[in-house]
Amino acid sequence: MSQDTVPNMMRLRIFLTGVGGQGTLTATTLLAKAALDEGFLVSAGEIHGMAQRGGVVESAVLLGGYLSPKIGFGEAGLLLGFEPLETLRALPYLASGGMVVGNTESVPPLRVSLGQDTYPKQDVIEAETRKWAARAVFVPCRELGARAGNAQSANMVLLGAAAGAGALPFGLDALERAATAYLKPALAKVNLAALRLGAAAAQKN
Amino acid sequence: MAYPLLEAASGETMLLLGNEAIVRGALEGGVAVVACYPGTPSSEVPDAFFRMRASGAYYFEYSVNEKVALEVAGGAALGGLLSFATMKHVGVNVAADPLMTLCQITVPGGLALLSADDPGCHSSQNEQDNRYYARLAGMPCLEPATAQEAKDMTAYALTLSRETAHPVMLRTTTRVNHLRGPVVLGEVPAAKSRRPSQKNPRQFVPLPAHARQHHPALLERMEAIRETVESSPFNRISGQGPVGVLASGVSRAYLRDALLEDADLAAKLSVFELGFTYPLPQKALLDFVRGRDTVVVIEELEPILENDLRALIQKNGLKTVVVGKGESLPRHGEYSTQVVRDALRRALALAPVSVAHAPPDFDLAQRPPNMCAGCPHRASFLAVRQVYGDEAYYSSDIGCYTLGILPPFRAADFTLCMGSSVSAGSGFALAADKPVVAFIGDSTFFHSGITGLVNAVFNGHNLLVVILDNHTTGMTGHQPNPGVDATIHGENEARVDIMTLVRACGVTQVKKVNPVNNKAAAAAIAELAAASGVRVLIAEEPCPIHAKRVKKSAKAVAARVAGDPDACGEVLATVACPAFYLENGRFAINESQCTGCMLCAQICKEIKATSKEAGK
Repeated sequence: MSQDTVPNMMRLRIFLTGVGGQGTLTATTLLAKAALDEGFLVSAGEIHGMAQRGGVVESAVLLGGYLSPKIGFGEAGLLLGFEPLETLRALPYLASGGMVVGNTESVPPLRVSLGQDTYPKQDVIEAETRKWAARAVFVPCRELGARAGNAQSANMVLLGAAAGAGALPFGLDALERAATAYLKPALAKVNLAALRLGAAAAQKN
Repeated sequence: MAYPLLEAASGETMLLLGNEAIVRGALEGGVAVVACYPGTPSSEVPDAFFRMRASGAYYFEYSVNEKVALEVAGGAALGGLLSFATMKHVGVNVAADPLMTLCQITVPGGLALLSADDPGCHSSQNEQDNRYYARLAGMPCLEPATAQEAKDMTAYALTLSRETAHPVMLRTTTRVNHLRGPVVLGEVPAAKSRRPSQKNPRQFVPLPAHARQHHPALLERMEAIRETVESSPFNRISGQGPVGVLASGVSRAYLRDALLEDADLAAKLSVFELGFTYPLPQKALLDFVRGRDTVVVIEELEPILENDLRALIQKNGLKTVVVGKGESLPRHGEYSTQVVRDALRRALALAPVSVAHAPPDFDLAQRPPNMCAGCPHRASFLAVRQVYGDEAYYSSDIGCYTLGILPPFRAADFTLCMGSSVSAGSGFALAADKPVVAFIGDSTFFHSGITGLVNAVFNGHNLLVVILDNHTTGMTGHQPNPGVDATIHGENEARVDIMTLVRACGVTQVKKVNPVNNKAAAAAIAELAAASGVRVLIAEEPCPIHAKRVKKSAKAVAARVAGDPDACGEVLATVACPAFYLENGRFAINESQCTGCMLCAQICKEIKATSKEAGK
């Protein structure tokens, strides 16, 4: 544990939340690798086991010298929400003055699909988010992912949006380098396009 | 590079999952034999070893259960090879019997045991603290807090065991298994050293006469290891403050972060970080405690270090006050940076720091895990309910099918542990006023269901056992078991046939169906329900995720509502597939989620297979 040698750089806790199958953990790992390559100290955490079965997937990337792999209520400087309901559910993790970058497209839970529960309206979710976030940016990730060539690249759209919104301590170029280096080469073109579309959408937001 | 985790050079930095770091550590430690039973949060350890198996750098096996894994690894270590067994915390319960003996009789080749504990019960039936096992068995225990430590401590645990011929425990918790952090790599030795196998029955056969000598010898070895712990680099003291803090495991990371952000605290504290946690470095701890009025002990779960420290203080006539478990440091659940910070501020009589945040909204629609679209377990539960409804007690087991507890199936009335469904179901049937149906998956049946089945036959129990054979170990990430027909490395040429096995257990009333064929499944269950004694239904259909990944099976045509969506109320309520949804209040099927199992089409005549021409 070499915290004694931590360079004096920005510390940031990033909370990521989504639903199994959305590529949240792939995005988490890519974000962590990009940060490491940019010279940041990184600790990241995730909980496995239920992701495949449609459950909530929460993970964390902590930059700048934290050793803990997890984030508590009121600690996240940035909340990345891959699914609107989960963004809303994770709002307690956001620190005051924190920022939210979220997807606008819902994945309804089974009980909602079956008409046994209700899903909050997107404008309600955004209004509640803005109540707690210093800044909030919402982009349609699957739509932009599809435009990039594959709706599955929605996770890269959201990362791109975070960079485009200036929410990360490094730029889009760092994410592009990491995506090129660490994701499947066959999908590089789509992933890079998705990152850029996300960044552009956030800048317009 | 085919296997980066194996082949990356010394000095390189990799961002590794805690479990990957453990694998690299084992490779750097020179491991020769690895035997595992998967279980979250340990599962990525065997998975990584399995993927790299063809490298030939070590022997690897998925053993059928944890006891077998530890016996295989223990046997290899007795024979002279450096060995590693991995499992989750409750797996150590299963392996506890050989563990006790291995610590007594010594392991010339060296043996490390990974116990992956799960405070917070993220994916387990309890949050037992396996540091007690280290004390019960008499084995050294290391507890990493970072990915780097996970790597370094695994390599060290193996090395220490080889040097002392004594088994060593690497005890992790979920957060450590599933964190990611940078790891500076060390050297993976090119050749495995091997000690010649030896005959030494006096040492290796624990007859009572031998065992009486083994015990004092074990205590002597542990005292010798204690001297090593006294100067271990995994234990570190930092800070200049008057109040002492003793911390272990991942709590050390929370403590470091609390001090990083709270200068008031940092100035008042001195920290003793314990990474090599057992046997206790008594001299170093006494030096740390002496002269201090207060020492706060921060450890998740049980007050083990706390009680050890209290005893040490009492024995040495010190007056230091120990602050441990209590309101701010509970004996249950996980800790966090905030928990540690609050507890320390309280111990120092500093005002609590309140952190503003949105209140959690518990009314939001929940998103519990569910059986996947196309899961054959759903079909099995549906058929069993068609026959029994609520007029049976459902004895469940550990696997994806425990999710059968959810409505509309409600097919889990009690569960104890891996393999318990058959034997606990047998016992329950002695008391029950209704029939008992036990559900057990194929991997769990191989793990420890077979013994229960033999027992049920021998003792004339009365229950229906449904073996949910989906050809994989679904819950933990699709690991192979003896019954699988294929793995990521190709066909399983040593397949053990479940039907043959069930018959060999002495069961005469046994049937096999594909549960997705609803009529046949319900008919088979009805026939078995009308009989008595031990009856077995093998419900065989591969897990669709496994089939897609391993067998590259093509996606079947999806189901669609061909008729009246308003006449689909029953299938919605009874099958409750995640591919179903309501579109403006009307029943519909999500084609991208549907796997084409067509269970719903058998229940509801409004649903048909999507033909290519119809191609919505």
